[in-house]
Amino acid sequence: MAARPWWRIGWRNLGRNRRRSLITIAALAVGYFSVVLLVGWWDGVVVEMINNGTGILSGQLQVHSAAYLPDRNVYETIGGPDGTDVTAIIAGVTADPAVEGAAPRVYGGGLVSFGNATTAAAFLGIDPELEPRVSRLMDALSSGRPPARGTNEILVGVEMARILGVEPGAEVVVVAPAVDGSLGNDLFVVSGVFTSGLADLDRTFALLPIDALQALMVLDPGRVHEIAAAVPDPWDAPAAATRLHSALGATDGALAVESWTDLRPELVEYAQLSQSFQWVLLVIVFGMAIFGVANTMLMATFERRHEFALLLALGAAPRGIVWSVVVEAIALGAIGLLVGAAVTGPVLVWWHNAPPDLSWLVGDFTMAGALVRPVLRVEYPWSMAVQSALALFATAALAALYPAMRAARVPPADTLSGR
Amino acid sequence: MSEQRVVAVRTDRVWKVFEHDGIAVDAVRDVSLEIQRGEFVVLAGPSGSGKTTLLNLLGGLTAPTRGAVWIDGQELTAMKERQRARLRLERVGFVFQAYNLLPVLTALENAEFSLLLRGVPAEERKRKVQELFQRIGIGGLEDRRPSKLSGGQQQRVAVARAVVGEPALVLADEPTANLDSASSIALLDVMTTLNEDLGTTFVFATHDQRLMERARRLIRLVDGAVESDTRRPSTKGA
Ligand SMILES: Nc1ncnc2c1ncn2[C@@H]1O[C@H](COP(=O)(O)OP(=O)(O)OP(=O)(O)O)[C@@H](O)[C@H]1O
Ligand SMILES: [Mg+2]
Repeated sequence: MAARPWWRIGWRNLGRNRRRSLITIAALAVGYFSVVLLVGWWDGVVVEMINNGTGILSGQLQVHSAAYLPDRNVYETIGGPDGTDVTAIIAGVTADPAVEGAAPRVYGGGLVSFGNATTAAAFLGIDPELEPRVSRLMDALSSGRPPARGTNEILVGVEMARILGVEPGAEVVVVAPAVDGSLGNDLFVVSGVFTSGLADLDRTFALLPIDALQALMVLDPGRVHEIAAAVPDPWDAPAAATRLHSALGATDGALAVESWTDLRPELVEYAQLSQSFQWVLLVIVFGMAIFGVANTMLMATFERRHEFALLLALGAAPRGIVWSVVVEAIALGAIGLLVGAAVTGPVLVWWHNAPPDLSWLVGDFTMAGALVRPVLRVEYPWSMAVQSALALFATAALAALYPAMRAARVPPADTLSGR
Repeated sequence: MSEQRVVAVRTDRVWKVFEHDGIAVDAVRDVSLEIQRGEFVVLAGPSGSGKTTLLNLLGGLTAPTRGAVWIDGQELTAMKERQRARLRLERVGFVFQAYNLLPVLTALENAEFSLLLRGVPAEERKRKVQELFQRIGIGGLEDRRPSKLSGGQQQRVAVARAVVGEPALVLADEPTANLDSASSIALLDVMTTLNEDLGTTFVFATHDQRLMERARRLIRLVDGAVESDTRRPSTKGA
């Protein structure tokens, strides 16, 4: 039996109670809009969290001596005590297609003193030219400028500056244990103050030119602890790490190449958690929509029970009637989707490119140890947009099934004689 | 009569009993009938006498409690609902008192619906319906929705739908109940003409005295049983 008459009836029934149809369409559109937008925003938060969690300092990918982590033993420089060709490794890392830039680093620990004030500090020796390609720590200095190569300059966190009572230009004493067993100490001039927003960094971190820190710790220029690299799409980093593992000849076990997913598993967990949150959201919103559509379809099919009775009396197959009701619901879904997408699309583009800033409302906050700005920046949640569309159709069809089956079971004789 | 007698519908001691608040109501009692192809039968009786129930039994819309019904030679009691639906679609036309048309379909779409379900090609459907519309005086109204038709016009569309598939019989349950007397007579005329010109079999339930007077075969029901079954010569031209 042809399905076309049922399509026609289902479609035309849609226009019979315009207001009711419009309300249902609006409900579905709003459901779609909220799911896609909330998911897009949540994706945006996760991306921002990952970007900040990896982009402020650590980078998305790191190369170490295999023995360096987890203890961060200062003796375990890349290539062992003899060091390595740092420029060559950086070139090798940068050669990977997913990598945007790489920078060498030396880590140390010690004390910083100014006048009577002394504080413990973690020292990071950086290459002032290469470092900005990997981390954002020096992007926004609250005062001064980054330390310059070949000078005894130091960049301190805002909290450390407060503890020591220093401003740019102040001369501080830096003390750090050297690898030869001696205690290196020297005078450094504060070149600037950074504000990361992360309390630990702002209190304990100090950045020095890599050559100055190497000299203080009696490390040769070829001895570095870390090559940090930037991978613009963080989710490319694990694959890049695997590629670099063989490209750098790390298979002998001396080198370790790690992506942020290895170094910061809590961020990955958070991303996964937000994924499951999205599914919960989808189920809740469309679960509610099911009852809305089912209610509409129940009312509609009850009003039309005489028509179904007539069709059954004439000899129509019950499945034709089921079909006409399901078609009507799917048409509701399709229009709801069109309206929803028409509204959602532009808002997504707008909030992706010019996210409204809500920091006046809630201030900055940290999540899984990463700084998050309260902006409504959305990512394009492509897969969720498609899944929500499918969920919307499934909702409409599912919600119509029970009313449709009831419609198809109307007793024709009794219904037509008004019983 | 020289023409061959073909039975359109036959019942053998058919009963329909309804449970009503625990009390059994014999809506149709022990009715044995035979209606030939080409007959025009009026089923008369007071309200509650079982006209609708008997029509539903004759059309395979309800199953009898006891007894048997043959439509076009096929016995119904053994059939599944699907088969009975198929039989109704192919052999029986229905005109009800109300709710006859789907409001979302045009007059033509309503009238051709049974043909469409039977898989008759669109061209043929349209041609047949238009021809019939012309014949019963609603030519030109094909594209109107039922809400834009008068009650009499709506019932004619329903008659067209019932007749167009050339069924073994057409069952009309008080099709004039919601019409004024002029429209009622006109509808009866339409059915009489179709009966005479095309040989369509009609079983027509009514309690309108004027309509009964024009019957060639009048079956009177009282309390679900046949009280009388009388035939008269054609009243055509009388
Ligand atoms: N589905 C049903 N359930 C219970 N009782 C029913 C049912 N259908 C009919 N009856 C009863 O059967 C009897 C015959 O009803 P039916 O509708 O066939 O009469 P009718 O002659 O068509 O009456 P009317 O002229 O009012 O249409 C009535 O007593 C009625 O109450
Ligand atoms: Mg009746």
